[in-house]
Amino acid sequence: MSESSPTLHLSSGPHIASGRSTAQIMWMVNLSLVPALLWAWAVFGPVVLAIAVSSILGCVVAEAAACKIAKTAMTVFDGSAVCSGLLLAYTLPPGMPIWMPFIGGMLAMFFTKGMFGGLGYNIFNVALVGRAMMMATFPVEMTTRWVAPHLGAAGVDTISAATALAQIKLGGEAALAKLLAAAGDGVWFDYFVGMRAGSIGEVSAVMILLGAAFLLWKGIIKLYIPISVLAGVALLAPFSLSPGLYMLSGGIWLGAFFMATDYVTSPITPKGQIIFGLGIGLLTGIIRNWGGYPEGICYAIMLMNILTPALNDWFRPKRLTADGVPS
Amino acid sequence: MSFFSWGKAALPTFSRGGIHPDEHKELTEDLPIEAFTPTTVSLPVSQSLGAPAEPSVVKAAKVKRGDVIATVPGGVSLHAPVSGIIKNVQTGPHAALVYDTVITIQAKAAEDEPEFAEEAGWQDLPIAQMLERIRDGGVVGLGGATFPTYRKLMLPKGAKVDTLVINGSECEPYLTCDYRLMLEESDKVVLGSWLIAKIIGVANCVIGVEDNKQPAAEKMRQTIAALGLEKLEPKVRMSVVVTQTRYPQGSEKQLVQSLTGRLVPKGGLPLSVGVVVQNVATAYACLEAVRNRKPVLERVLTVSGLGIKTPKNLRVPIGTSVEDIVAHCGGYSADTVKILTGGPMMGRTIADLDIAVTKGTSGLLFLTAAETSLDGYQACISCGACVDACPMGLEPNRVSQYMEAGRPLETERFGVKECFECGCCSYSCPAKRPLVQFMQVAKATYRRHERKSK
Repeated sequence: MSESSPTLHLSSGPHIASGRSTAQIMWMVNLSLVPALLWAWAVFGPVVLAIAVSSILGCVVAEAAACKIAKTAMTVFDGSAVCSGLLLAYTLPPGMPIWMPFIGGMLAMFFTKGMFGGLGYNIFNVALVGRAMMMATFPVEMTTRWVAPHLGAAGVDTISAATALAQIKLGGEAALAKLLAAAGDGVWFDYFVGMRAGSIGEVSAVMILLGAAFLLWKGIIKLYIPISVLAGVALLAPFSLSPGLYMLSGGIWLGAFFMATDYVTSPITPKGQIIFGLGIGLLTGIIRNWGGYPEGICYAIMLMNILTPALNDWFRPKRLTADGVPS
Repeated sequence: MSFFSWGKAALPTFSRGGIHPDEHKELTEDLPIEAFTPTTVSLPVSQSLGAPAEPSVVKAAKVKRGDVIATVPGGVSLHAPVSGIIKNVQTGPHAALVYDTVITIQAKAAEDEPEFAEEAGWQDLPIAQMLERIRDGGVVGLGGATFPTYRKLMLPKGAKVDTLVINGSECEPYLTCDYRLMLEESDKVVLGSWLIAKIIGVANCVIGVEDNKQPAAEKMRQTIAALGLEKLEPKVRMSVVVTQTRYPQGSEKQLVQSLTGRLVPKGGLPLSVGVVVQNVATAYACLEAVRNRKPVLERVLTVSGLGIKTPKNLRVPIGTSVEDIVAHCGGYSADTVKILTGGPMMGRTIADLDIAVTKGTSGLLFLTAAETSLDGYQACISCGACVDACPMGLEPNRVSQYMEAGRPLETERFGVKECFECGCCSYSCPAKRPLVQFMQVAKATYRRHERKSK
């Protein structure tokens, strides 16, 4: 017998677990978002950091309040509120007054997540609801406070006219020609690395891909959703004035890799995920080409979020039987 | 298949799900099986699936090793694993049932200890007699399922079986008892496999061993070549197939798919696709029962985990108490938080050291806080890890959500009744949700409901 008698725990199996935890996943997603923020800092100046902090604070405060009110375990340290805050900031123009994201973050977190029961129970992507609410609340700031990118010239506060998608939406072929002439030969490269006006975290496809590569390597996201989102957008690209610019502008890269892949609001099986992604891509294209807004990824994802429970019911995992059909 | 294994020939495995936890087999894999006999043994009468046995001995009676001490009419009996005197027949602890009738024997060597010598001509006994000996020898599935072996081998009329699968997967982490048995007693395992093949009348026997037990696979191959099985009648083609190390490789349906490519239908047995599966230790026990008329008196088990002072592979009489094993292995440390019978995936926690080793006890694990998770659980984030990990293609996530919502009787469509509780889902869940437990409670609710509505 041992000298001391330890407390023995009784439980159902299994008695070992993988090292993965919800908090670890959330913090790894946050880490994967850092390159895009660093890029925004480099081209739009330190103000983007203030916007991010403001948005994160709004989310964290609202999450803490929701936990207190609901008398549930305090979940602000699991990284998911920080993640929502960061993602919300990424969808905002860099010239936005820094108190607004705080309001947006609070509203988004409280109404989208807190009221639905916290992490795991939200129906919509929290950051995107935040953006939609801010579009309704601060329409001018949300659509005009764009900053022209300028590497190394932090703090130069240039308010540019609008994003490429907005210019083309309003001005048609003439605006496109003007834009391409102004941008010069390196336009495709500039748009790919992120030398363009746009929301904080969306401008650099390179930085987004860098973060996404990390998540893929860690097995946190799979490619079904991002690839099908981009494929869906690409299918409708020929209907735009400049398919190349169309694929490199707006928030489709950020949306495809970081918003549409949100576990809680996306389907589980590969088939469900492909339909979900294609739906997002096509809806984005429809809104961009024929709708009232220059960019549609935000509303496209939210619309497909609604379908997620149905997609989980329609596309079930294959059983280990000859026919594979679930009961 | 991982990116880095592209180009290499993939080892056979089942088609979906599964996990690869830390193996921890290094703690005991190189330790030879050591015999240990305590001074008293306590045998719960419920040792296998089915009706419990009735004690056939009374207090103070003298028994000899191998004597029947409890019987089930027409079923498997329980035997005295040591000679001695019946100390008690009374209610005592049981790892799974909590309480059971327990027969305690004070060991005392008899003057004429039975030898269980090999009987000449055993190979040519009529099948019916072989089955009888397996039944009377109290042989049950020693992999842990404890299903009476003679019943599994008595094929229903019209059953078409062409393959015997011998399960040497030992996919549970920590456990090394089957591995050691294959290394040290390979001749008996192979002969036992031949015997089972003869009984069920198949000419093809495949022994499945996981990739992390290569020495055992090699030893079994050598033994098959060296034993001269071709001299035995009937001829059985025996082969060893190394499978991917992937839990739950040792589960019947998974192993049948890995080795034969056949899929067992929903709710069916391997029998329905022409396969019978037996564990290596069961093959060994069948041989002893038929060839030596030696009943199941002892078993090999792995004592391991970071909590136990000296991990061992032990051969102990059935009925040896956990307490005696702990003392024999130098005690367990104060930071032990869980004691398990069986492996860490499907084993049961115990809190009573009086609990005895039964025929199905493959391991005794002493886990410290560093090895096991005691964390509470959180809400499902719908990451799908459990669905990806489930080897049956079920939806543990949905079951758990319905259970939390108090709707247990709506979970059948997510596969509750096809779940065999391997634990891959709970293992993979980042929110540490007790998905297996939700499954168990859902199943129990269905059982209760179906009883009531009858």
